[in-house]
Amino acid sequence: MGEVAEAILTDGRKIQYVIRENPPHGGMKYTYFAPDKSYVVQFFNDPAVARNPNLRKRVEAIIGKYNPTLAEQDGGARGNSPSMASYFAGRFCWPTAIVEYPEFGIVCPAYPPNYFFSENVAIIPELSAELRGKDKKSKWFTSAKLRRYMREQELGDFRSMLQMSISLARSIRRMHQAGLAHSDLSCNNVLVDPKSGSCVVIDIDSLVVPGLYPPEVIGTGGYIAPEVLETLEYPYGDEKRNLPCASTDLHALAVLLYEYLLLRHPLSGPKVYSQDPNEDDYLSMGPRALFVEDPRDTSNRPPDLHVTIDDLGAPLKSLFLRAFVDGLHRPNERPTAMEWEKALVKTWDLLHPCENPDCAAGWFILHDPKHPVCPFCGGRIDERDVVQLRLKSQIHGRAGQWVGAENVMVYDNMPLFKWHVFSNCFPDEKADRTMLAYVCKYQGQWLLVNHGIQGMTSPGGNLVPVGQAILLKDGAVFRISNEDKGYLVEVARGG
Amino acid sequence: MSDYIRRLPVYLLLDCSGSMMGEPIEALRQGVKALLSELRGDPQALETAYLSVITFDSHARQTMPLTELMQFKEPELRASGATALGGALEVLMDCVENEVHKSTETQKGDWRPLVFILTDGSPTDTDAFNRAVQRIKGAKIANIIACAAGSNANTTYLKQITENVLMMNTLSAGDMAQFFQWVSGSIKMSSKSLDVKPDGPIQLPPPPQGFVVVP
Repeated sequence: MGEVAEAILTDGRKIQYVIRENPPHGGMKYTYFAPDKSYVVQFFNDPAVARNPNLRKRVEAIIGKYNPTLAEQDGGARGNSPSMASYFAGRFCWPTAIVEYPEFGIVCPAYPPNYFFSENVAIIPELSAELRGKDKKSKWFTSAKLRRYMREQELGDFRSMLQMSISLARSIRRMHQAGLAHSDLSCNNVLVDPKSGSCVVIDIDSLVVPGLYPPEVIGTGGYIAPEVLETLEYPYGDEKRNLPCASTDLHALAVLLYEYLLLRHPLSGPKVYSQDPNEDDYLSMGPRALFVEDPRDTSNRPPDLHVTIDDLGAPLKSLFLRAFVDGLHRPNERPTAMEWEKALVKTWDLLHPCENPDCAAGWFILHDPKHPVCPFCGGRIDERDVVQLRLKSQIHGRAGQWVGAENVMVYDNMPLFKWHVFSNCFPDEKADRTMLAYVCKYQGQWLLVNHGIQGMTSPGGNLVPVGQAILLKDGAVFRISNEDKGYLVEVARGG
Repeated sequence: MSDYIRRLPVYLLLDCSGSMMGEPIEALRQGVKALLSELRGDPQALETAYLSVITFDSHARQTMPLTELMQFKEPELRASGATALGGALEVLMDCVENEVHKSTETQKGDWRPLVFILTDGSPTDTDAFNRAVQRIKGAKIANIIACAAGSNANTTYLKQITENVLMMNTLSAGDMAQFFQWVSGSIKMSSKSLDVKPDGPIQLPPPPQGFVVVP
């Protein structure tokens, strides 16, 4: 171990860190670890950057009144409860303090251990050895070439990638809700763990904070919004220059989500824009960027696209078209993080396990009950196992009138939660995640078992107590709860 | 899909002349090993970078053709003979011509190659050297970075090849390790950065401490 040094924080507290040669360097900062690795101390590569008073103001605001990982009562963001703070503490690597001595720097918590590669993660021993202890950048899991090197169990499956997508959309939604923008969202600044379907947003110190000078970051190749790339030639401060902001985050967010779900970059296709490779890159990500799945202009469409946005269901398809067709060169038309979160959550309820044991994706979106086929492997689901719950909510003030709200595709052992029972619940950071019911297949029949719902009512109108079940027959209609805001459920079986 | 990912060809031109015998050649071996390991651990580099080694003593040869990082086998390096840097540059030009995919109207090509030259002397094949310099100047086919190692290295020749010349004072294991660390940093940076000004100069990390940029 190297020499232990001491840093003094703004409030006078002293903390230790270990000096080592060649500390890990990022674009802006370099990092030293605590002796017990529970936190890191980061200093800036360029001393002029560190002395910039705008940086200090920005970091102070980020650590304090804009901090979603700290409860309001502890000096964090307004309206942030302790449980919401702890929810986001696991999803952001948010700075906790400013270092005053030996020079300006920041303290951040260490990433949880599941974001570091453990042993034996690749199929080639040399690569496993190389990766051990390194942080899990998403390229390892989204690049076709790199995926081939990784062990299958590291890669997760389609469901865990969707779970990761929800987590990222939610984190960015939380950030934007506070008026903050990340400004450098990329495959390097979101660490992922596909095995558990989780991700953590890092490099929080270059956020755009309302009313303060924006940071001088550009972004990372492949994730920079076209309008930023196109105006980089103007000096910082020139009004023609487009700086990173929430709408450029929304470009990067859409790129990351597309990569997580479809394992390819949405703008990297076969189209040649220029025979000079650098100019070709610039044009393909900037002024002439063209979505590989653009429905009208197919000149950048790879000939071997098997799984496409059509296979993700209508809500995600429409958002990807908005992000990469309507909004690619018109930032205001890009879907917001909140819209992504909602569409991804809707899509989550359409997941179905693939019955083919050799299917690498394991799960797919069963968005068309008439065509229950896994797009990844071509495996077909038995029609008898296609069971849809159509959730309908009561039209406000009109007793007995119901309107379709959500569709849920069920599978054996699927858990149902509060948001499947009540129309006024959404599975966000405030949601109660206690299982209230589950679906199971028992002796060839599909059952909805009550695990904790008050007022579950059978199609015949009888109360179904906890521990009892409703048989899911085609056309059956029942109240999943007869309490206020409880959904009416209509069962649709088969194709 | 990976067909649409450009390769970043990287050529290492390594001096294996007699003066490199002993510690320097061992440091060179360790350097290549460390470089390979660093690059394999970086997702963008592993995805895009391809590596080739050209060595030169009294003759020059391509010791390792342009190879994907996971398939790359460390070359056997031995020190003997003179310094055929000119020959090495000619081999480089031929390799680039044969191995690097050029863009066509319908097919995306590779990025412009990155070439790192490490030498501790001056070319003994000056005719070949002069020919090669003419060829390189005309073609502008690569971003070349030359490093003059130790007190006998002659930077005047290197300056004829490229604007980017570095000087490291000794051939010690420590300096060599730092050099290769810097090379890996440069490759990583190139594999991530998207050139915003197509004709702009290549971006490299600041050289390691104790290394001098030759103006």
